[in-house]
Amino acid sequence: MKISDYLKEEFCIMELKSKTKEDAIREIVEVLNKSGKIKDIDKFMKDILDRESLGSTGIGHNVALPHARTEAVGEFLIGFGKSIKGIDFKSLDGEPVNLIFLMGTNPNDLNLYLRMLAELSKCLMENSFRKSLFAANSPKEIINIFKTFEGL
Amino acid sequence: MPIRNILVALAGSSASFITFKYALYISKLLNAKLFAIYVIDEKILIDLLKAKVFVQKEVEEYKTDSENQGNSFLERVKNISQQKGVDCKTILLKGSVHDEILNFAEKESIDLIIIGELKELFSRKDIFYQPEERILRDAKCPVVIVKNQDLVERLFKEI
Repeated sequence: MKISDYLKEEFCIMELKSKTKEDAIREIVEVLNKSGKIKDIDKFMKDILDRESLGSTGIGHNVALPHARTEAVGEFLIGFGKSIKGIDFKSLDGEPVNLIFLMGTNPNDLNLYLRMLAELSKCLMENSFRKSLFAANSPKEIINIFKTFEGL
Repeated sequence: MPIRNILVALAGSSASFITFKYALYISKLLNAKLFAIYVIDEKILIDLLKAKVFVQKEVEEYKTDSENQGNSFLERVKNISQQKGVDCKTILLKGSVHDEILNFAEKESIDLIIIGELKELFSRKDIFYQPEERILRDAKCPVVIVKNQDLVERLFKEI
C-alpha cells in the first residue's frame, strides 16, 4: 500500500487556521473524524498529545509528524495540514512547522503503520519534496506530489 | 540432491499463514525439516529513531509488542505443525529481515527458502530495499514465492 492510497483530498487542509501546536493537531483530527475511522476523538487527541509530551514530533525542516497507535482508531489514517506562517512545535531544530502529517492506527496494524511512518519520513527528508508540498495550492496537488514521488 | 531443510520466512500477517501452510505441505511431501522464522524488523525502528520520528520509549514499546506478536504467531505455527506431523522448528530473530533470513539459511544449510507474495511497492525504489526482493536476489539456494490462496488451502487439506 502507498501513502497516496490513504491520504485523501478531504483530509488535507491547505491553510490551517490554528496558531498553536495543540490547535493545529485538533484541526487535523477533526477533519480526519469525517473518515469514520476514529472511534473516540477525545482519546485520539489525548493519545497524540501524550506522545508529543515524550518529545516533539517536529522532526526539523519545518515538518511535524504527530502520531499515535491507539484503540481510539479503527484502522490506519493520515491527514495533512499546512501553515503558511508556521507553528511553534518545539521542533528539534527550533524552526516553526509549516507541514504537518498526522497519523493514527489501531495497535493491531503494527507493520503497516511502521512502513507508512518510515516511508513518509524518507520522503520528507528530500528538500525538493518538501518544497513541492509547500508550493502546492490544492489537496489534489498534494496527492499528485505523492503519486509522482511513489512512481520514481 | 534431496531437499532436507526448508526455511519459511513469516511476518505475522494473515498472508503469512498461507505461506506457512504451503511450506508445511511441501515439507510433509518431501519429508523435510521445516524452520519457521519470524524476524522482528529492528532496522525500521532504528531508522525511525534516527529520523527523530520515534523516541526511545516508543522503540522499546514497539519491540515488546513485535516480540509478543511474533511469539504468539510462532506458537500457532508450532501447534499446526504438530497436528500435521511435520518436524518444525520455530525461531524468532531480530534485525534486518533479509540479512537474518539469508544468514540463517547459510548457517543451517537450508535447501529451499519459501516466502510470501511480494508486497506492493511504495515506490519503484522499493525494489532495491524490500526484504523479499533482496532474499530473491541474494539467496544461495532456490526460493519459492507462494501465490494463490485457494490452491494453498486445497493442498493444505490434503495433508
